[in-house]
Amino acid sequence: MTLHRADTLGGRAAIAGIGATEFSKDSGRSELKLAVEAVRAALDDAGLGPGDVDGMVTFTMDTSPEITVAQAAGIGELSFFSRVHYGGGAACATVQQAALAVAAGIAEVVVCYRAFNERSGRRFGAGVQRREPSAEGAALGWNLPAGLLTPASWVAMAAQRYLYAYGLTPEAFGQVAVVGRRHAARNPAAYFHGRPITLADHAASRWIVEPLRLLDCCQETDGGQALVVTSLERARDLRRPPAVIRAAAQGAGRAQEQMTSYYRDGLTGLPESAVVARQLWRTSGLRPADIDVGILYDHFTPFVLMQLEEFGFCAPGEAADFVAADRLPLNTHGGQLGEAYLHGMNGIAEAVRQLRGTSVNQVPGAAGVLVTAGTGVPTSGLVLGADG
Amino acid sequence: MVARQAPHSDRQNGVDGDRGPRGAGGIADDDLYVRLKAFEGQAAVAVGVGKDPVNEPMIRHWCEAMGDTGPAYQGPDAVAPPTMLQAWTMGGLSGHPGRSTAHEALFALLDEAGCTSVVATDCEQEYLRPLRPGDRITFDSVIESVSPRKTTKLGAGYFVTTRTDVWADGEPAGTHRFRILKYAPAARREPRSQGGRGSGDRPRGPHPRPVINRDNAGFWDGVARHELLIQRCTDCATLRFPWLPGCNSCGGEGWDTVAAAGSGTVFSYVVMHHPPFPAFDPPYVVGLVELEEGVRVVAGLAGLRPEEVRIGMPVRLDFRTVDEDLVLPVFSGLPGPVGPGDELPPLTVPVTRTLIVAGAVASRDYQDVHHDAEAARAKGSPDIFMNILTTNGLVGRYITDFFGPRAVLRKVAIRLGAPNYPGDAMELRGTVLARDGDTTDVRVVGANSLGHHVTGTVTVTVTGTTPEPTP
Repeated sequence: MTLHRADTLGGRAAIAGIGATEFSKDSGRSELKLAVEAVRAALDDAGLGPGDVDGMVTFTMDTSPEITVAQAAGIGELSFFSRVHYGGGAACATVQQAALAVAAGIAEVVVCYRAFNERSGRRFGAGVQRREPSAEGAALGWNLPAGLLTPASWVAMAAQRYLYAYGLTPEAFGQVAVVGRRHAARNPAAYFHGRPITLADHAASRWIVEPLRLLDCCQETDGGQALVVTSLERARDLRRPPAVIRAAAQGAGRAQEQMTSYYRDGLTGLPESAVVARQLWRTSGLRPADIDVGILYDHFTPFVLMQLEEFGFCAPGEAADFVAADRLPLNTHGGQLGEAYLHGMNGIAEAVRQLRGTSVNQVPGAAGVLVTAGTGVPTSGLVLGADG
Repeated sequence: MVARQAPHSDRQNGVDGDRGPRGAGGIADDDLYVRLKAFEGQAAVAVGVGKDPVNEPMIRHWCEAMGDTGPAYQGPDAVAPPTMLQAWTMGGLSGHPGRSTAHEALFALLDEAGCTSVVATDCEQEYLRPLRPGDRITFDSVIESVSPRKTTKLGAGYFVTTRTDVWADGEPAGTHRFRILKYAPAARREPRSQGGRGSGDRPRGPHPRPVINRDNAGFWDGVARHELLIQRCTDCATLRFPWLPGCNSCGGEGWDTVAAAGSGTVFSYVVMHHPPFPAFDPPYVVGLVELEEGVRVVAGLAGLRPEEVRIGMPVRLDFRTVDEDLVLPVFSGLPGPVGPGDELPPLTVPVTRTLIVAGAVASRDYQDVHHDAEAARAKGSPDIFMNILTTNGLVGRYITDFFGPRAVLRKVAIRLGAPNYPGDAMELRGTVLARDGDTTDVRVVGANSLGHHVTGTVTVTVTGTTPEPTP
């Protein structure tokens, strides 16, 4: 199985187009409209039209079905449609699904999309106070009567143990926020364009759920993001240089839960990210030292540190120092802390820009980019590379 | 571990605070008062005999009504809860044959004056020796004082204080000072408003419910019985939590359960600040507790303030009754040495109609206002309300629950304010006033949605040793 040897998907498909709406706090239009706009923008970027699309992938959490987006975007028959579960953990897996379909010849041009009014509509940060008695509802339900009700709280439980295990204070999380906001400050598309922060700002921000402060938490955003995936051969004939999918992987750990995997190990890492990392390194043939840019899912700062450790960029407990030393360009769009919270899909677009040489925080000659998806849940990741 | 907080300010509701023999200045005596005052010093009961000897069934009924699971009140060497002292002297449904003519004459005089209603306001008890099944109870009661006429929220009337000495098989067992207000009901009050406990206490909204389905119902059934059940694989014996229909270690489908012994340590915790939720008062602590059996559970850390919580600290399983339909496992810190200013973890008691009636019956108090809503309304009350003996029993339980099996109550002195009506909930809080060796004085306040139902002090002795310090 691919947990133990390289898979054969690497290098067979590419991201040929990216497109997004503006990122705002109140889009003023429907989630479906946002999805359609993003899809059309991504197709334009690729130099393709709706008639070229035969596959669509989104998140199970998305409210706009593949067929409805297709209908409203002028897309015709679909031979492949799919959805990936587990919140933001789906992000990179939508591209994996698309690549699988393309590599197998099931579809030729697949659009991946995610669109929501997550700020003006249903705010994830508002928390959960009830769930249906399904197996999934019951799993989260263990936490609700005790008052553990918000995504920040679910992450904070692991973050507290991380600090304890490595003798750190909550200030250790600050550097991730500072880096994200530094990049966002230079990104006109970012909500926090022109608004960098300091470590002191982080330390002075109010508690949300100790040990997490306001500036450890990503934004809430209205917007849409889409990506166009096709075969590497076809991508080479399109408008933009292809971002080659060197490796794509999903991962769930043993005794995995959604956000509350409290019952397994030491609670200081992300075993599901390790499952992804093993596959990505093996299939891409790359090592952490080969990565020019890291786009690491940053809904909450502590899990960026744990990802750096799980992917082998540094030893356990050393990620805060690793980030402070600026040893890897991280979240050059500003991340979800600085640019927008698009459930990780905007980070994939940034990876594509880095490989095209068009990022506002361009890393010269970037040829290998690691992108990850939602953490604390079953997750996914990509290694994207420049062609040739 | 107990929280240190400033004691709550005292508030009086329902019955005005300035009353009784020590606070009577400045009110003009009336003719009736002169006649009433003549009863002071006369016997209310002369050589009363308890209708039943101290007995196990009444002890058990009392403990069931109060929810008191203290081990001292169970088993072959059971003693009676000290707060039952008055119950052994009560006349019960058929009334008391031992009442003196003086007592009857005093009450008749008050009835004639229109003071037809009675409400108990204060109960001060001192316990001299434990009461055991078989003890025969005798008692004397004297009319200690009658107050001048007082105007209260309930109506105008007179406070009558009696003092009772209780003997068990001829030995002094306790003393009991009891104050009632005999009054003319004021005009019917408006229906009580919902919520609003006074400044600083906002009413709480609905509590998030457990998500219960066929796979985990057994866990919540256990919690309702105050058991935390851990699943155990019948193939490989691995314990597991959360509940699932199969074993992650071996895939085995068979399982049974093990009840958690109750000891654990804090594996991690968070302090919730934002956003606010109706059922919780931020900041509050939620813990991930590793049980001694090896599994972890998420639960509230009751009575622990955020700055007191540490990863690795030992905690003890407890159960919190949130409302009539919801019991939750919670964990509290181990009781350390308490000192003045320390705060006890609160206890919330849902005031059900059943509790009111069961408490009244267990204390052999058949005053109609405690079981007959029609009669209560006729006397100006919106509904039946909890009798003072039940409140006394709940206060005693609250203290012995905290101080543990070696705790013995020495004195309980309470004053009632806002009545406990059905459908309300009372939250008992305690603050240590003083400690001298094994003996601790605790101030207790019980608040319901109308205000303070009970304020008082309890003296408790923890025999043998002082409470163990926190490791």
